[in-house]
Amino acid sequence: MGQTALVTQSGQKPVVQVIDFHKRYYKHPAVQGVDLTIRPGEIYGLIGPDGAGKSSLMKAVAGVLTFDAGTVEVFGINLDSEAAAERIKGRIGFLPQGLGLNLYPDLSVEENIDFFARLRLVSEAELAGRKQRLLATTRLLKFRDRPMKNLSGGMKQKLGLICTLIHEPQLIILDEPTTGVDPVSRRDFWAILAQLLHEQGITALVSTAYLDEASRFHRLSLLYEGRVLAEGEPDTIQALAPGSLVVLQPERQMEALAGLKARFPQVEALGSWMRVFVNEADPPTAIQQVQQVLAGIPVRTIYADEPELEDVFIALLHQQQLARHHPIKAASAETAANVRSGNGVAIEALELTRDFGAFRAVDDVSFRVRQGEIFGLLGANGAGKTTVIKMLTGILRPSQGAGHVAGADMHRAGMAIKQRIGYVSQAFSLYQDLTVVENIRLYAGIYGLSMADTRKRTEWILDMGGLDGHENDQAGSLPMGLRQRLALGCALVHRPQVLFLDEPTSGVDPIGRRHFWDILFDLSRNEGVAILITTHYMSEAEHCDHLALMFAGRIVADASPAEMKRQVEAEVGGLLELTTDQPTLAMERLLEQGYKETTLFGRRLHLFSRQPDSDRRRIPALLSAAHIEVASIMPRPLSMEDVFVYWVTTLERQESAVATGTG
Amino acid sequence: MNESLHPLQFVYVWLRQLQVMTIKELRQLSRDRALLIYIIYIFTLDIVIAAGAINTELNQSKLVVHDADHSAASRELIYRFQPPYFSLVGTVTDANQGLYLLDQGDAMLFLDIPERFAATLGQGERAAKVQLLIDTSKATPGFLASSYSARIMADFSREWASQQLLRAGLEPGSVPIIQNQRRIWYNPTLDEAWYGTLAQLLTMITVACLLLPAAALVREKERGNIEQLLVSPLTPFQVMFSKVLAMILVTLVGTAVSLFGVMQPFFGVPIKGSAPLFFALTALYAFTTAGLGLVAATFARNSAQVGMLVLLMVIPINILSGDRTPLESMPLWLQYLTNVFPLRHFIEITFGILLRGAGLAALWDSVLAMTLLGCLLFALGLWRFRRQFG
Amino acid sequence: MNLKRLLAVAYKEWREILRDRIFFLLAFGLPIVLMLVFGYGITPDVENVPLAFVDYDHSALSRDYAQHYIESRYFNFKGYLHSLQEADGLLTGGKIRVAIVIPEHFQEDLMAGRAVAIQTLVDGANTGPARIIQGYADGINSAASGELQMSYIARHLGISLERAQTIIQPIKLEVRYLYNQEVRILWDVAPSLIMFILLLTAPMLTALSVVREKETGAIYNIYASTISGAEFLAGKLLPNILISFINAVILWLMVTFYFGAPFKGNLLFFFFATLFYVICNSSMGLLISLMVRTQIAALMITVVLGFIIGIQFSGMLTPIAALTGSNYVIAHLFPAMYYNTVIQGAFLKNLGLAALWPEVTLFVAYSAGLLGACYFLFHKRTRT
Repeated sequence: MGQTALVTQSGQKPVVQVIDFHKRYYKHPAVQGVDLTIRPGEIYGLIGPDGAGKSSLMKAVAGVLTFDAGTVEVFGINLDSEAAAERIKGRIGFLPQGLGLNLYPDLSVEENIDFFARLRLVSEAELAGRKQRLLATTRLLKFRDRPMKNLSGGMKQKLGLICTLIHEPQLIILDEPTTGVDPVSRRDFWAILAQLLHEQGITALVSTAYLDEASRFHRLSLLYEGRVLAEGEPDTIQALAPGSLVVLQPERQMEALAGLKARFPQVEALGSWMRVFVNEADPPTAIQQVQQVLAGIPVRTIYADEPELEDVFIALLHQQQLARHHPIKAASAETAANVRSGNGVAIEALELTRDFGAFRAVDDVSFRVRQGEIFGLLGANGAGKTTVIKMLTGILRPSQGAGHVAGADMHRAGMAIKQRIGYVSQAFSLYQDLTVVENIRLYAGIYGLSMADTRKRTEWILDMGGLDGHENDQAGSLPMGLRQRLALGCALVHRPQVLFLDEPTSGVDPIGRRHFWDILFDLSRNEGVAILITTHYMSEAEHCDHLALMFAGRIVADASPAEMKRQVEAEVGGLLELTTDQPTLAMERLLEQGYKETTLFGRRLHLFSRQPDSDRRRIPALLSAAHIEVASIMPRPLSMEDVFVYWVTTLERQESAVATGTG
Repeated sequence: MNESLHPLQFVYVWLRQLQVMTIKELRQLSRDRALLIYIIYIFTLDIVIAAGAINTELNQSKLVVHDADHSAASRELIYRFQPPYFSLVGTVTDANQGLYLLDQGDAMLFLDIPERFAATLGQGERAAKVQLLIDTSKATPGFLASSYSARIMADFSREWASQQLLRAGLEPGSVPIIQNQRRIWYNPTLDEAWYGTLAQLLTMITVACLLLPAAALVREKERGNIEQLLVSPLTPFQVMFSKVLAMILVTLVGTAVSLFGVMQPFFGVPIKGSAPLFFALTALYAFTTAGLGLVAATFARNSAQVGMLVLLMVIPINILSGDRTPLESMPLWLQYLTNVFPLRHFIEITFGILLRGAGLAALWDSVLAMTLLGCLLFALGLWRFRRQFG
Repeated sequence: MNLKRLLAVAYKEWREILRDRIFFLLAFGLPIVLMLVFGYGITPDVENVPLAFVDYDHSALSRDYAQHYIESRYFNFKGYLHSLQEADGLLTGGKIRVAIVIPEHFQEDLMAGRAVAIQTLVDGANTGPARIIQGYADGINSAASGELQMSYIARHLGISLERAQTIIQPIKLEVRYLYNQEVRILWDVAPSLIMFILLLTAPMLTALSVVREKETGAIYNIYASTISGAEFLAGKLLPNILISFINAVILWLMVTFYFGAPFKGNLLFFFFATLFYVICNSSMGLLISLMVRTQIAALMITVVLGFIIGIQFSGMLTPIAALTGSNYVIAHLFPAMYYNTVIQGAFLKNLGLAALWPEVTLFVAYSAGLLGACYFLFHKRTRT
């Protein structure tokens, strides 16, 4: 079939047809009236934060979950009973949520595949061929005898995909296959998925919590709290909330921010930069409107950009009045007095090294974080980020090296450090069975606050986190965004000078994430708190004043986000985005022609070019020679994800070159 | 904030930290409905059930008789096998039939009285033989049936012996006899409920003290709470000890409810010794056992594993601590080994204080052993905890 | 029923059990550990009971009398005490379980043909052993008393000891112990432990193996595939029945060779019946697994149920005949009691299929019922 077929056959019977779907768990409604149509050969996306109802919908489509109202039709079969659901199962593949959790950890890669194949009655002859091909495509061939539990996250994810595809289903349903995987593995996964689906003409329903993955889909639905916010092709959705994004670098940052926030609902501070989404305005008008607000404040740089899906998502929430945004209060007089003046060093790591047996998890890491600075630590899973944080917070002893945190020596004054820092971890690490106030009081007690202080800080935290009205709710019953703000509040109960955040925003919805970052920005600028943060969301990395990129335990890049982008541009050139109706074929051509850094995004291609201007003319000519029409080819600004993927793939290549060189 | 504190202030903060952590543990426990129901169950209903669970007394053992003599004497003898210990379920006409009934398990005893039983007895030349076949496939009732039959037979025999003695010219009263005055101390009526309920209480305290703190710690590990605590100024000691403290409180309240609310009013279980001493030592036992649970928790990665580990500990501890079979009956090496089980010492203490009325003077060795074990286990748990997290 | 899919599940299950260290230990280590623990903890006879004498008489005869107890394997003589108070202290402290008080003038009275009463003070805190200890003391006392009477009569009447014996004991009770000639608890309880341990471990294995997949989400592989409920359940059951059956063989070897309980019956019949008992228990675990969501819950339920049934309602420790009222009825609801009958029959009585076919039939019916319930409870499209 392929994508050409898709366009011409769009009138044919849909593979999946969901009408007015409702699902509730006990009293809690999970999905409330969702419609969905998936056409043959599509990669259809369900995008939304945790709790949007993606999993319920996908399980129902896979015929493994009952529902309360509505109809679900798959391959024209109405799934109104368990018996009816059985009839589709021969033709579907389902990958449940949770990285590698549905696989069998003690079985080898090959045994896992064999089990899935036998369960699906794939003949041994067919199995041998398919297994070989799929393992080769996913580059897992040499790991076929390795127990699944010893695979990396990215490898588990690919094995999961093989097991879902081994019986050559017509429809595959993948529930958050990229969650918990680093950006490099994620890109790899999407490339493989697109290739396999294209080869076999499979229809796919895929969910993700990463809004920036939207461009990977042919069509998608944006889900929020059990409802569809928008659906259609990525471009169509983009058009639902028309507007422009203004990026600027003002002089008097806090003043500018306050002004802009009063006028525009969507303003973000990214280090010294700011992003403002201006509703229903073309770029020049948007810039003009922003400059009006900033009257009097000098602006170093200002330009307009295409809004990202996240901006659109939030704009849509505002349109439908679903957003509950809490304005951040300016620092009170009392906290303002707390601001540490000057550029004192808050965190200093000096040649930190940590070994686990023969394995060196952290290798000679040095960096500095000043008071009031937001410092981002990036890296793939296992690069050593968490180990660095653990050493600096005193959970783990370094094998070598030294460090100072909040003015205290890591080796000698561990307890003093603990008194002066706050920590928010990856998972929600407060007590879910305690109420909001009980959690706050617990931490106040742990930090030895007096009763009077406890009362004051409790009020401050409730106010800061927008937790008013939730005081006596159990923490576990709060939505992710509120929970994370409560965790932040508890980490701040004793007014620490330094804050450590280890992937604090996983699973939090975009509005929640923005609110969270607003607070962090306020803390760093108004209270002078130094913040060290790790994140998997590359878009969040842009919020940091300074970034350090870790690879295999070492810091390989250490600069501001803008400098990092400049470095990569200097090395591989600018980014071009190419739109065509035959992206897969186009990609093959381009790779043949030596454009090695070409990546597929749904119907678009991204490629790096050293001579963007000449390539913009050369590539369409080259492709039209192969009868591939190019709709557009445009330069695009580099994203942090591009930077990250470039660094990690380059280093991986170097490393394997060294390995083969010595081996 | 408090690195340069006055010593008194330091103690105040330290205690406040311990206090908030202990309250947190108790709150969490009270929020877990399943666990709460379980705790209430083990200290109330479970004790009631245990009261009627075990019966070591012989009860209506089925007796079959083959009476080939059909005399007054043989009928008199048969008549003496009476409930509650025995119950005559039938007579058979030949011995093989009796054996068949034993084989089938339809009878437990088979009494075979031969022909000429009364005649032999009357002549007094030879001893009149009576055969009793007992199914001892259940050893304890088998032994008791044998013992009680022997007593019946001895009484019956003594009456005939008096006649014989008179005939031989001796006054029956002038023959010496050693009478056994049986006295059962501490439980004169051998009320099974006393032992049954107390043994069950000990078992359940052990299960709860092992499982609850261990499960709480592992849950904190699973959910990442522990890391959050570790970057705070709490010491590992406070983290661990607050769990133990919470468990001690739960155990004390549960034991009080069980003892004063169930065992005393409904089953008449006595408290012969000092109740405050018993509760103080119950607290010590809770501390010791909770320590063992925490050691287990440091070895487990998730709740399922901690469940298995606790299971693997709780069964040997309960079975080998002398709660069912008296310690002295076990092999000597095992008797030495079980010294490391806190329950072994607590069994001595509980039965000593509550039933026998013992005081510290009689129990000091058990108390000392339990204290040492408790400190050792808690230290081991603390050491493992520190090693695991830093 | 598609055999290939069934075997795919069974084979995968088998590989996992062999590879997963914890599960392997649970499958094969736990039954052995339990057998050792119960074997040493439940089966010993009441022996070596610590005993002391309070001898107020200090005579040759009183020491003679004490000797009867001291030489018995049932008692472990701890010494002579000076007073009742001293005995009281030792009993209270749990240092001795029996004290025998011999009164003053013991020798004098007996020599004069008078009756003498000794006191046996038994610690009744643990009721079961207390009864047995009483039995021991009774037996030894009446033997000692009888001997004394015999020699007294023989001396006074100038007759032989045999003749004196017929006078004083005109009836001779010949007791024959059937099936367990030495009346050893070990012979009785150790075989029953096979019943008890299989009751604990077999359901645990099946329950955990299903619930584990529910916890991780691997169960969705089954839900989303074309395998039928019956194929999946049978595939899960097969390897677990095999493991539990292997365990039954290991346990049988331990009971007979390590603990030395005699096996008088037909081995083929015994294992035939055991196989069906194992199927019953594994099916019970399967049923539990369909009703719970977490491994810890599955573990707790199987263990608690196993202990309650095994200890109270199986006839292992308390004979079924001694149960009263509802307990008697409850015992008849579970296969454990019937298998215990099979064990006792096969180990001690040499009973075979001819006598025990009703029990085996019951296991088959029970398994069928449980598996039927599983089949109706298992859904590939769930509510949550």
